[in-house]
Amino acid sequence: MIYNLGILLSWLSFALLTILFFTKNTYKTNLLVRINLFLQVALFCLLEIGLFLNDFSVSYIANYSAESTPPLYKFASLWGSLDGSILLWNLCLSIFMYIYLKYYKINDSNLDMRIFSFITIFFVGYTVFSSSPFAGCVELATIGCEKSTLIPFQNTLKSNLGRGPNPLLQNHPLMAIHPPMLYIGYVGMTLPFVAATSRLFKKDESNDWIEVAEKTTYIPWLFLTTGITLGAAWSYEVLGWGGYWAWDPVENVSFIPWLLATAFLHSSKVQKTNNTLLNWNYILVGLMFLSTIFGTFITRSGVLISVHAFSNGNIGTYLLVGLTLFSLLFIFIGSRNIDYFTNSKKITNWFGKSGFFILNNIILFSSALVIFIGTIFPLFYETLYDRQITIGRAYYDILVGPMLLLLLLLMIFSVKLTVKNIDINSWFKLNSNLLNLSLVIAIFMLINLNNTYFLVVTVATSLILILLTMKNMFIKFRMSSTNKTYWTGQIAHLGIAVFALGIVLNVTQSYSTEEEINSFQEFEFNNTTYFVYDSIQENKPEKTVIKLPISNEVKTKYTSLNIFRNSSQQAISSPAVFRSAINDIYITVKFIDEDSYKLIVRNNYGIFIMWVGLFISSISFIPRIKKRV
Amino acid sequence: MYKKYLTILLLIIIALVPIFLPSDESRFDEWSRSLLCPVCQGETLYDSPSEYADDMRIILQEQIANGLNDDEIYEFWVTRYGEKIITNPIERNNELVLIPLFLILVFVLMFVRNLYVKK
Repeated sequence: MIYNLGILLSWLSFALLTILFFTKNTYKTNLLVRINLFLQVALFCLLEIGLFLNDFSVSYIANYSAESTPPLYKFASLWGSLDGSILLWNLCLSIFMYIYLKYYKINDSNLDMRIFSFITIFFVGYTVFSSSPFAGCVELATIGCEKSTLIPFQNTLKSNLGRGPNPLLQNHPLMAIHPPMLYIGYVGMTLPFVAATSRLFKKDESNDWIEVAEKTTYIPWLFLTTGITLGAAWSYEVLGWGGYWAWDPVENVSFIPWLLATAFLHSSKVQKTNNTLLNWNYILVGLMFLSTIFGTFITRSGVLISVHAFSNGNIGTYLLVGLTLFSLLFIFIGSRNIDYFTNSKKITNWFGKSGFFILNNIILFSSALVIFIGTIFPLFYETLYDRQITIGRAYYDILVGPMLLLLLLLMIFSVKLTVKNIDINSWFKLNSNLLNLSLVIAIFMLINLNNTYFLVVTVATSLILILLTMKNMFIKFRMSSTNKTYWTGQIAHLGIAVFALGIVLNVTQSYSTEEEINSFQEFEFNNTTYFVYDSIQENKPEKTVIKLPISNEVKTKYTSLNIFRNSSQQAISSPAVFRSAINDIYITVKFIDEDSYKLIVRNNYGIFIMWVGLFISSISFIPRIKKRV
Repeated sequence: MYKKYLTILLLIIIALVPIFLPSDESRFDEWSRSLLCPVCQGETLYDSPSEYADDMRIILQEQIANGLNDDEIYEFWVTRYGEKIITNPIERNNELVLIPLFLILVFVLMFVRNLYVKK
């Protein structure tokens, strides 16, 4: 039932989108976009219903859900694997198509809806022709489904048990929020792409496209920021390795569009005030969109292995075709506008607003480039030299670290940026007290730390930036005339400064030890005594949990081992985290015997400060809301 | 005017901090951060809570206690697990840093040229 209906509705959606692509009639366009949105919502609900009814005749449900899966994770199973996540992708695209139609549509042409529906057809087409989460099961595996069909009304087989989601995905509620956030951010990059390409297709030499592209970039940027933050938080809370970012390919490809979008949010302002960087902005908008497709390709096609890797089918080839088509469209429209682009004005004030924004763009783009190269290097080496290499933290520390530090330095001047060149002497006169105060605080902070030059410069820079931004906010808050995007920027910068302080402390100061210990014994770590109780076993329908209570004198926390049923994957250990504003004591356990354990005890600095910083950056949208009302 | 001197003084102090209060990262920490645990999806020995990584850590600890130099440790792990196990291959493969730097340079030159040249 769900299988048949799901496949038929997908076909219908595909057919309607094809009609939308060819239609010229405004009324029909409005209607079709709404019907398509309705269909995609229906498909989403249908798969959710299937998941909750445990309809194991649907291959996807049999393979990625189980009767014993708790409701929240059943709900999240929809995007727990490739085919389902494409369904979510389609839903996001359809929502954005509706939003675009409602707020950003060009008045006298249908071209933008044509490009938008072309992109949507491509992704909906994947569920029609290649692989769908509604595919019916025609051959059973020991548990779950082996083979499925995309043709409706076949005889399906129903497995008795479902395999259940990947254990990593059912260990923390954050997993239910993190992927959709990222998807919205990823798919949202379609908005500026459509806005720019369709407006430039007409060779309309106005700067209207940059206005719309800028407005529409901010939404996905915000979701991407939140999505990446939640992913990092999930990794820290669930994976038990004490970290939050591993420069894993999937993390990298979510960071690349973020860097490009951040660059564009700055460079678009240069175009608006100076009428320069026209071609560069067009390139950025294109790369933002194409990088999301490339990212999906590289991580979902099985060419790279990572923590996030899903099963792979023929999505690789499919996405590669899409990537080529969209790139050609982008290049074609760009080449029609060579004359317009060459009208770009020159930069005059290298030490004013434009100059700083250009430096910002050079750094952000270079960082994206470095991360891109680091992600594909292993692939490159394997094909060309038959050598398997791993690009780890050291590569990014050396190349990306200094660039991001430079960016932080630039932000100091962005607190009060004028179109004219900045005058260092008067700047210093104005801010010398504050500068000295932050240096004094920095020195006091550093006395207790393990120092490297990178740490020292980052701490000093971020402290100056934090104090300067706050002082400026305090002064300007009383003057109501300041524009709203300025405030968005300042809040985002303040967040990043706080975040930088946290992350540099974390990276340079954290350490760990191992303790072998028995029940009812205590150990000493970082001047605190920790007492270990006896382990407790809990049987839940979907898993067995072995918990070990540990207490410092104030609180008791549990570190646990989660063993999932029906899963071939290894058990997952969850940490006990004793949090404080400066450092977290993060303990994971390995069970050796009945009552003897091996604990990995970590002292993680700066974690709380990092989350605070990222939180501040994610609420930078607040001034913009006021603008609309 | 004295404020300027104060700033300079503070900058000098802060520049001296890493010299007098240096980092004490041990060789073991450094190596355990740069070796990949082969069975645990992209985690290093330092990060991984798995038993496999445990055993590898014990071997590494012995190697450092026995005073093996970096080349000998490198040789030991790479012959057993292949080059893939080293997460910071840049020390022995400079091109891994030079290629991106070169591309950045090309990009910056193109970018700046684009802003200056009148077509």
